[in-house]
Amino acid sequence: MEYLATFHTHYGAVQFNKRRNAEGVQSKLMPVPRELSANCGLCVRFIAPAAPNPSEHEDMDKCYAVNEYGEYTITED
Amino acid sequence: MKITRGKWSVVIAGVIIGLVAAVLGHFGNPGNMQLCIACFIRDTTGGLGLQTAGPQYIRPELIGIVLGAFIISFIKREHAPKGGSSPFTRFILGMCVMVGALIFLGCPIRMILRIAGGDLNAVIGLIGFVGGILTGVLFLNKGFSLKRNYDQPKLEGVAFPVVNVLLLVLLIAAPALIFFSEKGPGSMKAPILISLAAGLIVGIVAQRSRLCFVSGTRDAVMFRNYFMLLCYAAILVVVLIANVISGTFKLGFADQPIAHTEWLWNILGLYLVGFGSTLLGGCPMRQMILAGSGNSDSAVTVLGFVAGAAVSHNFGLASSAAGTTPNGRIAFVICVAVVFAIAIFNTKKSTAGQGVRA
Repeated sequence: MEYLATFHTHYGAVQFNKRRNAEGVQSKLMPVPRELSANCGLCVRFIAPAAPNPSEHEDMDKCYAVNEYGEYTITED
Repeated sequence: MKITRGKWSVVIAGVIIGLVAAVLGHFGNPGNMQLCIACFIRDTTGGLGLQTAGPQYIRPELIGIVLGAFIISFIKREHAPKGGSSPFTRFILGMCVMVGALIFLGCPIRMILRIAGGDLNAVIGLIGFVGGILTGVLFLNKGFSLKRNYDQPKLEGVAFPVVNVLLLVLLIAAPALIFFSEKGPGSMKAPILISLAAGLIVGIVAQRSRLCFVSGTRDAVMFRNYFMLLCYAAILVVVLIANVISGTFKLGFADQPIAHTEWLWNILGLYLVGFGSTLLGGCPMRQMILAGSGNSDSAVTVLGFVAGAAVSHNFGLASSAAGTTPNGRIAFVICVAVVFAIAIFNTKKSTAGQGVRA
């Protein structure tokens, strides 16, 4: 399943992405899509078997599931 | 909800802001300074008597930008009182960014407007701006953080727009306690209503498009995402056409309006702006928009700009058409050292994996 996580800080996004990359998980940093936030921060788009719990990752704000049409649905936290 | 939908919206945003700038220039704002966040904050600082050596005029454009962002973010349910992310560090960074902007003579939006007017000094300055952003990105990738912000009480999110309403009342009532330049750039101004309307439009458009001269450039270098560059290009082209039509386009280095030709200091001034703004997470215009949308860290940053403007003119740090000043050059060295110190001391050692491409 593909997910997109937003963060309170750049630091959180950069670190989360580095960890995913270190684990060999397909993951990339990108600017947050406009429809998800009025802020101009970074987000991480990645593949995971299950949605991560935002409270378990430093500075993670929200996590969205991305469907095949590129639409976002917020995951339960 | 397709991501590509936004591509046209940033171009349209650029065209609108370019047209607004052209209109402001037509109605009397200074040459190649139709719209400039740094210069206008400096003018407003002077209007309030916080600096007495430079231009003095409470610029309605800024009030409009803040209120425009406030209104549209409220309507779109994006207004969110947030704060608490290293506010005093942001204040200091704001001061340093303003010192840099007043050495170059303009913030990133004026840099674009100066280029559109044919001012090649601004093209040279652009090198420093991009260099400053790259330096900031380096620290972001190494783990720089001013820590997260938190939800704040409602009042914290509306206080800044309310202050701007009070500024508007002061400007219109014009009591003897506020200052108006009688000559120079501070005396060159479009009528209040036109300036205010222009600001409202810019505020709304910039909030909707998330226009930011720093994060757009950052995304271009970090992700090869050239999205926002389309917006800058649109502003440039529209204002360039307007300048050619009105006969104010003049290609060259010498005798450009409110600009100097010291190339090294044009580069260094904007280097400081780019570096400081990247650490702040947005250019001066973006800080105004965020402050209007409820972010009190950005409101504190704007106060840092005000303090930087006051210091720059009261201590003779700001450049003029004659060039930079000895005090300004010393201040630059101090500010760069301060910004580097802030960057270094707020960078945590990375705990995982290798870095991302800068």
